[in-house]
This record gives sequence, C-alpha cells and structure tokens, in this order.
Amino acid sequence: MALLKREEWQGFVRDVDWSYSYVDDSAVFPEWHCGTGKVPREAWSAWEEDYKVSYPEYVATQREKEASAYAVKSALQRSTTFDHLDEGWKSATKMHFGGVALVEYAAVLAELKMARFGLNGAWRNMATFGQLDELRHAQITTFFGHEFIGKDAQYDWTQKAFHTNDWVLISLRNLFDGMMIAPNVVDLAIELPLTFETGFTNLQFVALASDALESGDVNFANMISSIQTDEARHSQQGGPTLEILVEHDPVRAQWVIDKAFWGSARAFAALTGPAMDYYTPLEHRKQSYREFMEEWIIDQFVHTIEEYGLKKPWYWDEFMRGLDIWHHGLQMGLWYWRPTLWWRPKAGVSKDERAWLAEKYPNWEKVFGDKWDVLIDNVNANNLEATLPETLPWLCSTCHLPACNATQSRDGTWRVRDWSLQYDGRTYHFCTNGCRQIFWKDRDNVNHQTLIDRFLAGQIQPMDVGGILGYMGLTPDVMGDDPDYEAWTKDYVGRPVEGISLAAQS
Amino acid sequence: MTETPARKPRPRRTFSAFGDVRKMPSEYEIMTHAQNWTLRENRTSAFEQNPSSAPNLWFLTYRDNSPLQAQDWDAYRDPDSLTYRAYVNLQSEAEAKVAGVLETHAEAGSDAQLPAGSVALLGHLFTPTRYLCHGFQQVEAYIGYMAPSSYITNAAAFCTADFLRRVTNVAYRTRELQVAWPDSGIGSAERSLWETHDGWQPARKAVEYALVSYDWGEAFTALNLVLAPTLDDVLLTQLGQVAKGNGDDLSWLLTSLLAADSRRRDRWSRQLAELTIAQRPDNRAVLDKWIGRWSQLADDAAHGLGQLLASLTEGAVRADDVAAHARAARERHLASLLDPASDETTAATG
Repeated sequence: MALLKREEWQGFVRDVDWSYSYVDDSAVFPEWHCGTGKVPREAWSAWEEDYKVSYPEYVATQREKEASAYAVKSALQRSTTFDHLDEGWKSATKMHFGGVALVEYAAVLAELKMARFGLNGAWRNMATFGQLDELRHAQITTFFGHEFIGKDAQYDWTQKAFHTNDWVLISLRNLFDGMMIAPNVVDLAIELPLTFETGFTNLQFVALASDALESGDVNFANMISSIQTDEARHSQQGGPTLEILVEHDPVRAQWVIDKAFWGSARAFAALTGPAMDYYTPLEHRKQSYREFMEEWIIDQFVHTIEEYGLKKPWYWDEFMRGLDIWHHGLQMGLWYWRPTLWWRPKAGVSKDERAWLAEKYPNWEKVFGDKWDVLIDNVNANNLEATLPETLPWLCSTCHLPACNATQSRDGTWRVRDWSLQYDGRTYHFCTNGCRQIFWKDRDNVNHQTLIDRFLAGQIQPMDVGGILGYMGLTPDVMGDDPDYEAWTKDYVGRPVEGISLAAQS
Repeated sequence: MTETPARKPRPRRTFSAFGDVRKMPSEYEIMTHAQNWTLRENRTSAFEQNPSSAPNLWFLTYRDNSPLQAQDWDAYRDPDSLTYRAYVNLQSEAEAKVAGVLETHAEAGSDAQLPAGSVALLGHLFTPTRYLCHGFQQVEAYIGYMAPSSYITNAAAFCTADFLRRVTNVAYRTRELQVAWPDSGIGSAERSLWETHDGWQPARKAVEYALVSYDWGEAFTALNLVLAPTLDDVLLTQLGQVAKGNGDDLSWLLTSLLAADSRRRDRWSRQLAELTIAQRPDNRAVLDKWIGRWSQLADDAAHGLGQLLASLTEGAVRADDVAAHARAARERHLASLLDPASDETTAATG
C-alpha cells in the first residue's frame, strides 16, 4: 500500500481558517495591511490556486534544483570564462546583481506579509512557499555575485547597492517598497506576482538568459534560468486574488494593475533597455528591447488583463510611444552620469551599432544621433571633461528617474518636456504625463524627496559633485566609466565637427 | 611632498558590508548578511515614500521603536547557520523519513488496529492542531516580516515553513484516520472542537492574542519563547508518550520526528534572546514582562489541553501534571535567561 495521493488530503492543509472570538477579525486582518476594501470578507473563501503543491514535494524538488544549480557553478569555478567576457556583458551582470539580489529579498518580505495577512488559508500557505522561493533567489543571486568581488570591486554592489542613496537605487526602492513590502496584500498579490512576476521578470530572466548564453556566460544563464523555474509556483497568487477583486471592485483592480505596470515599465526601461540595446555585444543580440517587450510583455499583458475583463491602461498610447524613446534617453543619461553607476556603461554607438539602432528604431538618429555626435566629437577632440556631468538632472517625483523623455511637437521637433503640477503650495515635476497622473491619484510620494530635493534642501554636503557621489555611496574603486572610448568613437575620427561641439571647442 | 603615499588597499575578497575582515565570512553569512534594505543605515524612514505613510509609521512603531532594542542586530547568527540550500536538504531528508514511517504503517494497516480510545485521542488532541499550527505559522511569518535583521528574518522564514510542514503532516494523518474510522468525526469535527471545545479554548485564546501582538519583539517572545515551547511539550512530547503507551507507534514516531523542528526553533530563539540581553541588559526587564504575560496564557492553554488528555485517557494522566510538565519544559528553555547573574556586566556597561 503506497502513500495517499496529495489530492486526497490537501484539502485539510488549505482549510485552516476559523472564526475568531477572543479578538476581532479586523484586528487580525487590519484593513490597511489586508485591503479587502469593497470585497466582502467572506468572498475570499473562494480563493483557490491553480497549481497545488505540498510541503514534501516542495522540499524534494527544490533540493534537486539547488544541487544542479550549484553543481554547474562549481564545475565552472576554475574555468577562465569570466576573464574573457565582454565588458558590456559584465556591466549587464553587475547591474543585474546590484539591481536584483536585494529585490529578491524584498520579495521575501512581501511573501511573508502575504503569509501573515493573506485573506485565505490556502493563499497564506502558497505565500509560505513563495517566501522560501524568494529566499532561494536572494541567496543564489547574492552568492553568485559575491564570487567575482576579488576580480572586480564593482561586484561589491551586489549586496551594497540597495543600502546606498545612489539615484538608481532610490528609484528602485521607491518602486519596490511601494509594490512589494508596503502595500496591502490584495494590491501586493496583483502588483508583485501578477503584473511584475508573470510579466516583467520574463524580460529580465528569459531575455538575459539567452543573451548570457550568447555571450558565453554559462554560469549566469544557469543561475537565472534556475530561478525562473520557481516563478510559476508562487506567481499564481495573483490570478485568484485579481479574479475576486475584479468581481467586486473592477475599478480598483484596473488601477492597481495600471500603476504597477507603469512603474515596472519605467524601471525596466532604465535597466534592461540599455543592457539589451547597448551593452550586449551587437553580434549576440537576439532581439531589440522593443521587440522583446512586444513579444513577451505587451501581448501577454494585454491578453491577461482582457481575460479578467479589464482594459488596456489609460496611458497606453504614451507607453507605446515610450518604447522608442524612454530607454534611449535613459541610456544617454546613464552614460553621461556614469560616475554614479556601479558598472561600466558602454556607449554602444559605433557606426555598426547605430545602423542596428536605426533599423530597430527608425527615429533613433533624428532624436538621439545628434546628441551622441556631440559626445563623440568631444571624445575625439580629447575633451573628455565636456562629456562629464557638472550638474544634476531633474528627477521625476514619481519614478525618480531623470526627466529625459523627448516627445515630438506639432512642428515635428523633438524636445524633452516637463510635466508639472502644483500641490500643497509646491511644484512637482514629472518625466511623463503617466508619472504625473499616478502621483496625483495616489499621492504616496507626497512629502517624499527626490535626490534633487534633498540636494536643494542642503541635506547633501558639500554641495558639489564630490559631495553628491559621497552621498550616493560611491567610492573611487567602484565609480563607473566607459570601458573603451575608442571602440565607439574611432569610426568618426577626422570628420568635420559641427553644432555645439564646434562651439564648445572654439 | 612629505606625505607618505597611501598604502594600496588589499584587494577586496568579500562584501564591504562585513568591514575590514581578515577571516572570510561563511557561505551562510554571505547569503544572509544585511539583505533587508528597509534596515539600511542613515534612513529617514523604512520605506522610500512619504515618511508619514501608514507602512512607515507601522515599522517605526512596531520594529524600530520596539521596547526590545539592541546595538547591532546583525551580530546575531542562527546556531544552525541555515541557508535555503541547507534547509531543503535537511527537510527533504526529514520528510523522506516521515514518508517511510507512514508507508510502513499504512502497509501494516496500523490505523484499523487502533483501539477506539486512541482514535478518540488523536481526533481530539492531534488532528485539530492544524488550526493552532496555522495560527503559529502566521505569527512566525509576521516575526520574519518585521524582524530587525535579515539574520532573524531568515530563521523565522524557515520556521514559518516548518509550521506548514507540521500542518501538512497533520492533514495527511487526518485523511488516513478518516478513511480508517469514517464515523469517528475525524476530518469533519476539528473546526468545531477548536472553536468550541472547552479544552481548546485557552489555546485558541493564546494564539488569537498572539496574532494581534504587533510589536515584533513581543510577537517573538509570545510565540518562540513561551507559547510554542509550552504547547509543543503537550502536543508533541506528552501526546507522543501517551500514544506510545497505547501502542500507537505511528503517532509516537511522527510527533518525535516533528519535534526536531521545535528543537531547532528553540535553539535559534534562545540564542536571539541571549543576544538581546548581552547587548543591552535592560532587555531583561522587557522580556521578563512579556514572558510573565504570555506564560499565564500558555499555562492556561496547557491546562486546558491537559484536561482533554485526562478525559481521554480515563484519568491515567492528570491535567495538573500535564500543565506542570509543559511549564517545566518552558522553564528549561528559558532557564537562567533572566537571572541577574551578569550584574557585574550590567554595572560595567551601565
């Protein structure tokens, strides 16, 4: 006689809710932690995950996965692969380790929050597996990044990045605090597992895994594809939650998704966009960022929300136009403010690379080409100083990224626009109309200072570039610089200089 | 130029967060150290948002301003140094053992041979524990969510999963017993026993109170220092002994195997309590107050379960003895923790 099948007994594991009588239900499940809102409390009893798992199955499967992930790592330990990787690719991995390791840990806290405050026992159990999964991801990412510190000090930021006030990290903390650790669990389940994990992590994990393999970084590809295999299990907390919310409060459901999608899109434009379209060596690129977004994110996202009876977000046209603009503007910003990065950003605008960009983004030369030409001519004139920042960019009060999005005016010119609004006697500035609308609608960021606000308020001393870099936690051994100026400027040596480069040189 | 050239720093081998260490941190430390950015130094608030938002105020009140304070929570180390990889290795082996025991007894048809008294005992004192343990699972998850160091969060995170493991094993046995004894009420009466049977009410009261104890330090004290050590003594140790006496080897083996998780929880919890006192002797008074408050609830709960046990063993055990045994187990767990033995240290640092 064998063991009972899971289906025969799992009902008891899921059936663990009871009626409180020594304390109030609303004390055990406070509204701002749980966010039941217009959904009647009893409606959550219908919450059911699609894909069931039991504890013994979980530990057995995960043990195998861990064994094989670490076996690949130790097999590669003595290889010299790392030393031969392209600097651009290494930069993509540094950005990944620093930008992701502790986000996985934020997800541990998010899952623990759902394991405590989830409105159904089965949900809380699923979150208990979820927090273990995220712990795995935080640990494996941290450990793999740690291995390279001896070779390159920038990998120290695997752990350090999120403890600093670097502008990239302020932006990411603001996003992930708001959609992972701090929100009520209903919003959280829709923002993190549904919008973020079933959508955007595909971009970082699937796209980057294939770029990693192309670039010869088997270790990295192995790590992230192993992580990706866990997502299906815990990401399913979003579906049943959304289903119940849509039934009782579709307006809120739409808003929660719209907001999380927008915030994620901004962050991925800043990080994954440059990594895919500029850092990955040309010969190893599979798809452009835009193509990848269209295939993996947009189609799937639209399909998912329509399945739940929701509509495309109100900002859809602005978002779609941004696919040709946002990450290119941010790439220029990242490169220009390169001393504030913990990686070495490639410019990635040699003639061949520009031809590729122009093919993938027909407006690229018109909007960005002339700006890069100025930088190129300054590099070729040995005037590197002119390519380094002396001022700060204006940061958006919602996404905390530089306001650097060009939009086309009626007369056909492209200009970076400022969207602003007055609130409580103060003028707030935004990078996009979408960011402004989100700020106005939820006001989570009221009274929250951007890095620029802090600077202007005198919180950063001394008030110069050195003071700012210190405030951001940057040390000379880590500060980013272009890994190879010649690589992208040599194509243009000797050409006539025009426009503002000429003015700068005279 | 009279300055001596700066000595070239040694190349870094590990995270700068460890400081200028000569000894390489362990794999456990590398994977666990300072992972929670809401605890970063020089923060204006836990979350990067409006400093007076509800989440920021909650973390300020119940974590940062908890009466339980320490200079350096990141000095804490789990004595078992558990990482995720170590945890799934450990527990997949533990579950393989459980599966072996379950399979052996299923093959032998043990459940069908249980005397009616044993079935009633399990149906009243074992299968209803899935509610209690789920409540514990929630409180432990909260401790992990709020803890002031990732070293503590991770220990609590594994412990949360351990409670799910226990609920899972109880659920499995519930179904087996229900199949063998369809008229026993097993598999259908648990919720009503848990919500209304006199024997269970003090335990339910304790866990419901623990669920609304939002100061992270008090939640930790309530569950890990007081309620769980006390009630595990009744529900694993004493119940296991009674089962063994009744010839119910399966229940005895299962409770013994599950008790390994409780011992591990006791180890890291005790270690954490010691660290708080070593770093700040004033914490002794904080813990003393909380332990006093929760011990009363725990003793009542143990006594209620003792009455149940007494009634189901036809007086072979006495409720007072059950409660005393449980109290003694807790007192061993907390032994000398609050003794003013280190008064010299207190005087020296104070």
